[in-house]
Amino acid sequence: MMTNPVSKITQGQFSFLPELTDAEIALQIEYGLSRGYAWSIEYTDDPHPRNTFWEMFGMPMFDLKDAAGVLTEVRNCRKGFPQHYIRLIAFDGTRGVESIAMSFIVNRPASEPGFGLIRQEAAGRTIRYTVHGYATDRPEGERGIETS
Amino acid sequence: MGSPLYSIPGTAPATTPVAEPTADAAAAQASPSTEARTVSEVLAQSQAGAVMDELDRDLVGLTPIKARIRDIAALLVIDKLRMNLGLQAQAPSLHMSFTGNPGTGKTTVALRMAEILFRLGYVRKGHLVAVTRDDLVGQYIGHTAPKTREVLKRAMGGVLFIDEAYYLYRPENERDYGQEAIEILLQVMENQRDDLVVILAGYKDRMDTFFRSNPGMSSRIAHHLDFPDYAPGELLRIADKLLEQHNYRFAPGARATFEEYLTARIRQPNFANARSVRNALDRARLRQASRLFADQDRRFTAEELTAIAACDIRASRVFQAAATQGPS
Amino acid sequence: MAIATGASNGATAITDAKRRYQAGVLKYGQMGYWEPDYVPKDTDTVCLFRITPQEGVDPVEAAAAVAGESSTATWTVVWTDRLTACDSYRAKAFRLEPVPNGPGQFFAWVAYDIILFEEGSIANMTASLIGNVFSFKPLKAARLEDIRIPAAYVKTFKGPPTGLIVERERLDKFGRPLLGATTKPKLGLSGRNYGRVIYEGLKGGLDFMKDDENINSQPFMHWRDRFLYVMDAVNKASAATGEVKGSYLNVTAATMEDMYERAEFARQLGSVVVMIDLVIGWTAIQSMSNWARRNDMILHMHRAGHGTYTRQKNHGVSFRVIAKWLRLAGVDHLHAGTAVGKLEGDPLTVQGYYNVCRDSYTRRDLPRGIFFDQDWCDIRKVMPVASGGIHAGQMHQLLDLFGDDVVLQFGGGTIGHPAGIQAGAVANRVALEAMVKARNEGHNIRIEGAEILRKAARFCGPLQQALDTWGDITFNYTPTDASDFTPTAAVAR
Repeated sequence: MMTNPVSKITQGQFSFLPELTDAEIALQIEYGLSRGYAWSIEYTDDPHPRNTFWEMFGMPMFDLKDAAGVLTEVRNCRKGFPQHYIRLIAFDGTRGVESIAMSFIVNRPASEPGFGLIRQEAAGRTIRYTVHGYATDRPEGERGIETS
Repeated sequence: MGSPLYSIPGTAPATTPVAEPTADAAAAQASPSTEARTVSEVLAQSQAGAVMDELDRDLVGLTPIKARIRDIAALLVIDKLRMNLGLQAQAPSLHMSFTGNPGTGKTTVALRMAEILFRLGYVRKGHLVAVTRDDLVGQYIGHTAPKTREVLKRAMGGVLFIDEAYYLYRPENERDYGQEAIEILLQVMENQRDDLVVILAGYKDRMDTFFRSNPGMSSRIAHHLDFPDYAPGELLRIADKLLEQHNYRFAPGARATFEEYLTARIRQPNFANARSVRNALDRARLRQASRLFADQDRRFTAEELTAIAACDIRASRVFQAAATQGPS
Repeated sequence: MAIATGASNGATAITDAKRRYQAGVLKYGQMGYWEPDYVPKDTDTVCLFRITPQEGVDPVEAAAAVAGESSTATWTVVWTDRLTACDSYRAKAFRLEPVPNGPGQFFAWVAYDIILFEEGSIANMTASLIGNVFSFKPLKAARLEDIRIPAAYVKTFKGPPTGLIVERERLDKFGRPLLGATTKPKLGLSGRNYGRVIYEGLKGGLDFMKDDENINSQPFMHWRDRFLYVMDAVNKASAATGEVKGSYLNVTAATMEDMYERAEFARQLGSVVVMIDLVIGWTAIQSMSNWARRNDMILHMHRAGHGTYTRQKNHGVSFRVIAKWLRLAGVDHLHAGTAVGKLEGDPLTVQGYYNVCRDSYTRRDLPRGIFFDQDWCDIRKVMPVASGGIHAGQMHQLLDLFGDDVVLQFGGGTIGHPAGIQAGAVANRVALEAMVKARNEGHNIRIEGAEILRKAARFCGPLQQALDTWGDITFNYTPTDASDFTPTAAVAR
């Protein structure tokens, strides 16, 4: 278990709140759709802070009118990857933005092992840091499977 | 998981959470302003009545269809009242089939239906996504499911209109990918009734065959609406409306010529009701334009520019064909 | 509203060359610095000055003098003018209006040809525009209110090295304001104690911690010591939360060589951000911007000192002009006011500063003090920073005023929390996330804000404590620098 105040990885827009219900997630999706964003679902078993490229669960969903379509895919993704981190990402294609406009976690593994900090001492009291994810100690195919 | 504790190491656990925020969210989600208790309250809140009146006013003929739509709307309004009193547990099945010949108003009515369902709160957005087999079925293994899902996702919150739906089913090829699309459709039609309404459309006889071979589909369609062909008088009224929309009118005598035209055209192959009327009028406008164009130095009056003359219609090949065939 | 030009004696330029260049003293208007029919070219820089002429000085002549003194003129006629195409070098005052409700004050519009400024040099541009003219005797006071910088000149600058879009991608933080805190007390902490504050704040939920403007390398804490302890705290917090974290390491120092050395060390330690103070000057700012661009570093700008010339309405340079220059000079973060905190700022005027930082194209917006359309030519956007006397209880006002693209810095509001720094950070993060969530759900946070916070506090003890401690604190003074077009009071509640 992680030792930060919410005992979990705090990436995304809503990690300090109680986990969002599907109804609450739908409201966020609607907000994004109303602003013309395209939603995308990504999942990973390696939530390292600099692991930018989580796996895409299908293509970004363009031209949707209603949250139900996105929510359906969230549920499909949870079914396939119940012990992975899953996040919803909204893309804004406006000129001058052309990046991500929203991002929040919608599924977490039952237990979040967190990270260790590896210090390599260098000259002049300098330290080189490596953030090491405990989740990646196991081989790729065997992560995200519940033990204990 | 649920509520985080906000426990800060080395201190006593933070105050225990008191509220259940999920309840708040649920309340935020479903909050009809005031619950209607009478039919007129439902109609006033939803303004569905206005859409039905428009339907009556704008669409020529279609008397049985309009009656069915009023029936369906009545059922939905009463369901709403029952729901408000806690008598109705499940959302009604609203998937429909629209059968009829081309040009009998299926797509137009589907658009209005989407609007009515939206006003009454049975779909959330009220848009219509119209597709055919090609939009749903892929070319190779693994192609169909994502294609169908993509279309379903776009239609969610509104109405999915599948034209000539029977092409999804090709019994002559047992490995046809259409079957896969049908299965995904069925699943969503059953499990996500709140999220979208499906309307299957096409010729009546072929649709009947389709339903006979796909009982699963048939059993999920609650409402079958059969669109009759328009009577000649109705087609004329449609012609009047179309001309009016484009700021044209029949010159004296032209309307009678157009009636003659219709009588001949109905007997010829590929007659497509309102669509054929629209096409005939488009061609008449072309001829009118050529006629006026020839008169290069004249200042035309508004009268002249808006009038479709009898000769503009008379020039149609339909009359020549009818003449060579002779009276049958 | 324009002043009738004929009324002013000696306002008309002398066109006869012989008479014009006769040795002696002419009025600035006669020398050709007042040209009421002039239509600014697309490549001209246009400045709007607020001028207060001395008693008895003709306002038209005063405007012409501003144009003259900020471009080619000197107090007397010089024949060497005739060796140049001096007509084009002369700045031209072309419009003059009395300030609404500002007796004795006038708005003067002055246009500058593009040849007057060296490409890519704010130092050169400022040397002209605010070089001599503000000390000019015939004016009681002068203020540069706003500036329209032509696209042609904008494109000679590289602008922010990172920009707010790329910054978000690097930090992996989207769809909400970023949270920061300035380490307090500003002075006196040892490196070890200082790092403790950083660790607690970041682990508790903040995205950034920050050195204060006057933390450099004083006897109580050598800069290397600070950097080493701070980066240990940053990395430890990153591992504890799974988030990218940062702390603005202030590299401000006496010389460029020192600043480069410090920035280089911050880079070696893996910091994502370094910080400089406005007092280092335009040249140093642009040098550090180039350095940050070369080294993938976010460049945080603390506007230390700006109040000396931006605050008084009748004299100095408006902060919106400083913000425009800083965007061109190339900073990624810029303190731009809070409107609700302890430091000066009328809400609309402050929103104007924010827009200048973040717009792709800024439209003329008089209530926000913006006088000109400004095309930013796709130059990157600056992330504004709201800092100074703000707390979690104002979250709805801050989000409503400034939107998502802002760093909200709660220094005292984090570190002064009764249950400690982590608890303070938790309170701020929960308040922020709850407010963003509610806004996205369609709640009107301006009206429901306080209730949303109270609800969130029911499941978050630290937030409850924060609201109990600071809920009623407001800094409700009349701003000294509000727009002349719709005066507003500071946001209360």
